Amino acid sequence: MTSSTPGRVAVVNSAQTLLTSSWSDRQHIDLISEAVSRALKGTGIRLEDVDFVIDSGSDFLDGRSISNCGFLGAMGAHHKEESRVEEDGLWSLTYAANKIACGSAAVGLVVAYSKPSESDVSAFWTGLLEPFIQRPTGLDQFSAAGLYAQRYLAKAGLKADDLHDVSRRAWERAARNPFVDVDEVPDDRSFWFEDVATPLRRSDMARPVDGAVAVLVANAEVADQIAKRPVWITGQGSAIDQHFLAAREPDSLPACEAAGRTALRATGAASAKEFDIVEVSGTSTVGELMVLEALGLAEPHRGIDLYRDEGSSGINPSGGALPADVIMATGLARLHEAASRLSGRTGSPQDGLDNARTALVHGTGGFAMQNHCVVTMAAAS
Amino acid sequence: MTRVAIVGTGQTVHARRRTDVSQAGLAREAAVEALADAGLTMDDIDSVVVASGPAMFGAVNQPEKWLVDALGARYKPLVRVTSGGGTGLAGALAAINQIKAGAARRVLVVAYDKLSEGQLQASISTLYDPFWGREFAVGIMGFSAAYWHARIKRLGHTEEAAAMVAVKNRHHAMANPKAHVKKEVTVEEVLASRPLCWPIKILDVPPISDGACAVILAADQDAESITSTPAWIHGMAYYCEADNAADRSMLQSEPLQIAAANVYKAAGITNPFRQFDVAEVQEPYTCFELSYYEGLGLCPAGGAAELVASGATTMGGELPVNPSGGCMGANPIGATALIRLAEAAMQVTGKAGAHQVPNASRALVQAGGGWANLRGVAVVGAEKN
Amino acid sequence: MTTIHHADPSETMESMPAQISMPYTLTPGQATGIFLAELRNRRLIGSRHGDGTILVPAQDFCGSTGEPVTNFVEVAAAGELQAFTTTARGTIGMVLIDGTSTPFVHQILQADPAALEIGTRVEAVWAVEATGTFLDLAGFRPAGNPNTFEPRESPGDLAEPLQQVDYRMTLDYQHAYGQYYGTLFDGVKNSRRIRGVRCSECRKVLLPPRSHCDVCFAPTHEWIDVKPTGTIQACSVVHIEFIGQRLTPPYIYAEIVLDGSSTRLIHMVGGDAANADKHAVEPGNRVRAVWSERRTGSLADIEHFELLPADEDPS
Repeated sequence: MTSSTPGRVAVVNSAQTLLTSSWSDRQHIDLISEAVSRALKGTGIRLEDVDFVIDSGSDFLDGRSISNCGFLGAMGAHHKEESRVEEDGLWSLTYAANKIACGSAAVGLVVAYSKPSESDVSAFWTGLLEPFIQRPTGLDQFSAAGLYAQRYLAKAGLKADDLHDVSRRAWERAARNPFVDVDEVPDDRSFWFEDVATPLRRSDMARPVDGAVAVLVANAEVADQIAKRPVWITGQGSAIDQHFLAAREPDSLPACEAAGRTALRATGAASAKEFDIVEVSGTSTVGELMVLEALGLAEPHRGIDLYRDEGSSGINPSGGALPADVIMATGLARLHEAASRLSGRTGSPQDGLDNARTALVHGTGGFAMQNHCVVTMAAAS
Repeated sequence: MTRVAIVGTGQTVHARRRTDVSQAGLAREAAVEALADAGLTMDDIDSVVVASGPAMFGAVNQPEKWLVDALGARYKPLVRVTSGGGTGLAGALAAINQIKAGAARRVLVVAYDKLSEGQLQASISTLYDPFWGREFAVGIMGFSAAYWHARIKRLGHTEEAAAMVAVKNRHHAMANPKAHVKKEVTVEEVLASRPLCWPIKILDVPPISDGACAVILAADQDAESITSTPAWIHGMAYYCEADNAADRSMLQSEPLQIAAANVYKAAGITNPFRQFDVAEVQEPYTCFELSYYEGLGLCPAGGAAELVASGATTMGGELPVNPSGGCMGANPIGATALIRLAEAAMQVTGKAGAHQVPNASRALVQAGGGWANLRGVAVVGAEKN
Repeated sequence: MTTIHHADPSETMESMPAQISMPYTLTPGQATGIFLAELRNRRLIGSRHGDGTILVPAQDFCGSTGEPVTNFVEVAAAGELQAFTTTARGTIGMVLIDGTSTPFVHQILQADPAALEIGTRVEAVWAVEATGTFLDLAGFRPAGNPNTFEPRESPGDLAEPLQQVDYRMTLDYQHAYGQYYGTLFDGVKNSRRIRGVRCSECRKVLLPPRSHCDVCFAPTHEWIDVKPTGTIQACSVVHIEFIGQRLTPPYIYAEIVLDGSSTRLIHMVGGDAANADKHAVEPGNRVRAVWSERRTGSLADIEHFELLPADEDPS
């Protein structure tokens, strides 16, 4: 607590486990400690240098109450300040950034994980609904996405098949991503054409996966010392929509727009189009389109153009959330992917993003994307 | 350096069961009172932090998503911090960091639990690893009683000493209009009361409550323009300990000692017993208050029984602890820690009414939860630090 | 609460099923309470907020503005379909009741999804028997009547709000043993061996075993046999009974540090000597595991711990 102007905060390293549909021979703590070990490795930061841990996970998914309590050792949190933010890990990241920016800590660790393979994922999603009016109807994550999609496609003048452009690109990129267990784009007909919630097919829905992500953040003094190319956090914003699904906007995400606006204002960027890399979380293809539109990357109902245009390779180069939704860690995984590229840790992916210097990252939480968080970053030049 | 203060507080009418409001409505009630106390509306609030106990208490996953509507928080930043029983303080800490970092100017922290709706002990028992002892769990009561038993043997935290805590806090609750348990007890009655997890007896245990608390935080000129009586936060921290770390004896709470040392350093406290005018601590069972005396450095290790017996921690004593009655007056778990903080703010700003400690200007707050491995400490003062 | 099913010994131990299932008594609040209570009378009640917004089902607060309810209106049980989707579980739609501001989600019944359109007129389908939940209004079906209805101001004979909705939440899990619990419980089941792991840095033996030391965060690197005898670190006597309890009180809850390990094992202390005076069992007492007849590969393979007579104490 030494300065009155918020200080600069950098992502100095990050790591994630392989994201896979089921880590059947690993426990939560195994995944978490692997991500944490790898985030620390090679940085010169020892665990005793870490001042605090902020973490994201879900009691409902984990099958334990106050589940952070049982995972503190694996998170490297023993005898440190720790708090659980029960929301996507990108919110934990903003908490950690705040804590460092205000000078009350120098180094923080952000951890997010999910192991949906151990639970009934639908119970997680429907448990988010207030229990009197919405939950009894049988509304679930699939029908919610279908309701959005029907209205969105009608307004955009699109057909369900058009959404294949969105999912195909996501899966193609995931197949090239060594940290996602996808070897090739699925080719079975049922994946692309079997209705899950009309008009959406299986290919339109995010696939839940197991995994953990850890991100090491530090103040300028530490970052300049240890990181070859620190990635500075330049802006953040978040906003939540109202709860009742039917009361929200039918085919757009104003809370996402508000979150993006706040982050851009902090960054001083006029538009999300200025960023070299954009990593967003969509729980469905239509969800992803609405996020891109809310962030201003496309006009309303024209998000599909971004998938027909070769120039937009900077959007979800990792494949995004559709092939690999780590539920409580998806937004933080987006940040890890973007930060890795900005800092040059990804190696040479040869996808035209080698010189990327800035990134905008989006995370979402709640039933049918009720809550949104946007973080912007820039690598030291 | 940015100084953050509490500029408004609110609490619901706590009760064993509130059948007139939903979980969301309960949270709103506290928020409305805090906004009125600060003379603000939701339009003035930049960000909301919700704190509540484990989602399994209320059958609603991430309940803040539902609370948005009742709080009128649409399109604002809103996030929930959940960190066991001390979550209210952890939520306030998140809010302070938002303000100090410049991410928000005025933050509403709302903490609640509506415990009448679920199965408390069964819910808390799921804290245990499903592979490691869950079938033996009685919430954390069996665990808490077990370590009290160890402290009885090693530190002299006798059943009588804990009974004195019950007598004191229940006596204090008589003067607190927000407390819903108002019945004086004697040491003999506590000792003779029915064992639940012996040595814990029913009169060592707080009520199960529905309730919410809200606090509004702002910094420097913002705080001073909102109220003439800001309660300044001189320090706050929330530390943890790995639950099954080697050699964890739990005779003393190490995360509490670490949190206290850090907060005292920030607040310039060198002799806590002399320098504080009042303390509010979160005692899920009476035995914990004894343990906190030692962990917070109010007395030496093994000195807690003597301290409570001296009357120093009773109203009128040198350092009244829990003039509100603490958890014994009301215990809506997710809100309890924020209630401690709000009560401390009320004390140092002279707003505590019938349970006001005369001329209190600096207050100590303790909170915690989980497996007694999450521990928070705060210092609140009338003077801008 | 949690039910832990112990695996058939012949199964490979990859994961353990567990269920968390608890009853709840949920409070809907005033407006939703009135709405739910009135379903019994087959009336739909809406709430009016601030500038005239009407929400059906009635809500205490408007999510768009946070405005509380000012008064109630009765609306017709008919409206139009604004969106719908069909899943394996049926058709779900958004229904805008005539004269109201915001649609709500419900089941669309008795309809061929292919014949539905945005704008299709729908009417309520009532449950045959009211049970005091939202499903007393079973859903909506396409309606022949194209007429629309105006809301009727504050009915004078509104029902008292429903104060409680009974609910049971059941969550099913399949928890992975992982390599560490897997090895430990294989040993427990097959050879009654209890093994922990040693931290490569502080040299403490951790039980249950895990990949990293909680304190040092150094990797653990060696399996170590731990004795089935140990010392009670802390214990209490459980008398309380509660919904979802798995064991019948009274019993002695104990946290035991087994000889050769540095962490706590959670179990209970039983046997004649302990049961003779449960309150006399104390932290510091020496105990040993009493193995069960069962071989489940879990802590249940230990029946309980019993007090260890001094002359039989190997330490």
